[in-house]
Amino acid sequence: MILHHPLALIALTCAALSATILIGFLVRRPLLVGSTKLWLLLGLGVFPLGVATAGNAAGFEATKERKFCGSCHVMVPHASDSNDLKSTSLASRHARNNLFGEQNCYVCHADYGMFGTILTKLGGMRHVYEYVTRYRNVSLEAAKETIHLYKPYPNSNCMQCHSTNLELWMNVPDHKSSLAEVREGRVSCASAGCHGFAHPFTKPAASVSPASHRSPERAPHETRETP
Amino acid sequence: MRTTSYGRILRIACVLSLVGLGLMVWSLLDPTPMPVLVAMSVGQVFGTLSLLAFLGVVVADLRHAHLERAPLPSGPTSQDAR
Repeated sequence: MILHHPLALIALTCAALSATILIGFLVRRPLLVGSTKLWLLLGLGVFPLGVATAGNAAGFEATKERKFCGSCHVMVPHASDSNDLKSTSLASRHARNNLFGEQNCYVCHADYGMFGTILTKLGGMRHVYEYVTRYRNVSLEAAKETIHLYKPYPNSNCMQCHSTNLELWMNVPDHKSSLAEVREGRVSCASAGCHGFAHPFTKPAASVSPASHRSPERAPHETRETP
Repeated sequence: MRTTSYGRILRIACVLSLVGLGLMVWSLLDPTPMPVLVAMSVGQVFGTLSLLAFLGVVVADLRHAHLERAPLPSGPTSQDAR
């Protein structure tokens, strides 16, 4: 439940007011005079618009939560790993950081830029489509083996926080020697040779046979880099 | 649109709106992918349709009232014809 969110409370209040008016109209069946029209304008227009506006905003906020991502069974291992205080995976370590916290899935996987939020939400719609059409009945073990990102995880997402410009970062010899590759995305921060994969069951691209898991509808640019 | 059908259209609009509201409230109480998607698509379509139906009835009612108030066009009287 997201009832602690002020927008959700506004939406619920508007919904209650609207429902009261509409049920009152259905029960009493008054004549269509001026006052009835005014009440119906509130019940069918103003309050439902309030519900939609506040409800959408609260819904968008809810979609950023780790609980939301973990509500599909194939994402349970990812969410559980982030919740695990003893895990040393990149995802879990970032989840313990207050800047990421309960929204660590979204913060790390969101697209950035002017249309980043919209692109991320569209990507989320595709996740739902893939889940409903392909993964709904897949076992957890099978999902761990087959689930993957649509495209390689971009270093630019890491660089939202780790700018690669600070002296502390540059003092690490490996960073210094691979600066250009990291900035251009030719070397992934979340790879076995660097900081390790983000999740414990992430597989390197080369370790999975594309023929065995690639589905016909997958686009050619999609790789086996997993979440 | 007949004036006798206004009540029926408005009652359908109310029921549609109540269903839409129910879907939106469901997404608030259970913010998982399916309720959120259903609320943001089906719920809002229902809400929009009910509002459009209400506005349609109001416009039709106003138009009907305007036509009733308007004086009948004056044609030639029997005296003029004589």
